[in-house]
Amino acid sequence: MKESITHFWELLWGMTEKELRARYKYTVFGFLWLIANPILQMLIIGFVFTFFMKEPVEHYYYFLFIGLLVWNFFSLSLTKATPCIVFERSLIKKAYFPRAIIPLSIILSNFIHFALAFLLFFVPILFLGTLSWGTIPYLIGATGFLLLFTTGLSLFTCALNVRFRDVNFFVQAILLLWFYASPIVYSLSQMPRDLLWLWRFNPITSILQLFQHALLGAPAPGPAMLASNITVMCIITTLGILVFRDESRTFDDWV
Amino acid sequence: MNRQQSIAIQLTNVNKKYEIHHEKPTLVEKFVKGRNETFWALRDINLTVKKGERVGVIGPNGSGKTTLLKIIAGITSPTIGAVHSNGKVVSLIDLEAGFHPDLTGIQNIFLSGLLLGIKRDSIIKNLHSIIDYADIKQFIDVPVFTYSSGMKLRLGFSIAVHSHPDILLLDEGLSFGDENFTIKARQTLGSSEYRKKTTMMVYHEPKQLREQCSRAIIIKKGAIVFDGELKNGTYKKYIKTTHANQTFK
Repeated sequence: MKESITHFWELLWGMTEKELRARYKYTVFGFLWLIANPILQMLIIGFVFTFFMKEPVEHYYYFLFIGLLVWNFFSLSLTKATPCIVFERSLIKKAYFPRAIIPLSIILSNFIHFALAFLLFFVPILFLGTLSWGTIPYLIGATGFLLLFTTGLSLFTCALNVRFRDVNFFVQAILLLWFYASPIVYSLSQMPRDLLWLWRFNPITSILQLFQHALLGAPAPGPAMLASNITVMCIITTLGILVFRDESRTFDDWV
Repeated sequence: MNRQQSIAIQLTNVNKKYEIHHEKPTLVEKFVKGRNETFWALRDINLTVKKGERVGVIGPNGSGKTTLLKIIAGITSPTIGAVHSNGKVVSLIDLEAGFHPDLTGIQNIFLSGLLLGIKRDSIIKNLHSIIDYADIKQFIDVPVFTYSSGMKLRLGFSIAVHSHPDILLLDEGLSFGDENFTIKARQTLGSSEYRKKTTMMVYHEPKQLREQCSRAIIIKKGAIVFDGELKNGTYKKYIKTTHANQTFK
């Protein structure tokens, strides 16, 4: 038992290394891209949206950058993990191994990117003077929820995509809408109070709010928001794990 | 040794159903049309292979031979029934599968080895031996997309051999497009170490089966129609009728 767990981690790490190595193999700037991307997005969105805001968000560029980092991790993981079983069909046909390794390694490699970019981002934040030791639990909670939800949803879409290839297109379409349905470019405090219940169905809301609260002192998610978001998160993650476990036994028949 | 320990592979009442998809089904179609057309690739397979046995599987195209190997290897699961295997199973079905073209030979050895269930320390320990066996020392640091298909096959076989399996699954006779390496591979599989291992091989030619195996299984339309020794009259009769153009002693 212990041996198979060790091997699971060895294999997961091996696959993650492959993801990281293969992605930046022939690029000049390599890892710089992971930080350049959100910075460019931040500059454009920050410039344009400040003209629309009725009441400005404090430290808006920082606010945007956190949101974009979290969002990029989530959307990139989901877009890459959804078709991964179909792309890696040759591995499926080669041997038996826990199939979840394939989507998990994609998520882990993206998470390493996210963590590196996050560490770099910490330097300017230190000068902002919004940090305190009390933010650490919020950061840990937010990171945990982010990983849990990304993994659960990715397992779900990835397992379904093996049989129904339109899931991939569906995910791409929904992510575009989802971006605007999450408090990345705006803050929930700018939204009308009687519409706030809409965000309760979107688990990303609490995750973003926790990060924004921890790093910039923005308002933390209310208990009702947190509770309903966590419920949705748990339902989707459980569903994802169950569907993946069931479907993965016969992936080979469909790819 | 008690009975349980001496068994390498046991299949009880294994059935495998495939859904025939003429085109990829869409999510909407699935709910509108309901059930798909189905096809039973294997029916009521009961099979026990003892440790150290060498079993040859033969039968017409599309009779379910490869599906049987895939189920034993755990690559796919049976629709009904149970599969038990005792020890590490390695299939040599797709040797060059799973290499990442952009990674170097060494990086691919680690990846492929881990996928086959070899421990990391064990790969490090055997690295030289794997490279030497595949005879690709010169190219080990270059990306695999520059390899010829023969080199990829050699590397794949070398990794599989170094995974030290207990149960070996092979699809058809081995060929590498390289005379010397084919001989080397045959020698390895015929060595005393591999003679002791449980082996299951799929054949198209009864001649090859006769050289390598002591027990034969004939599969027709997903069912086992014969399972026994090569000397058996039923087997001889089957081979005579299906491979009439070949001389059979």
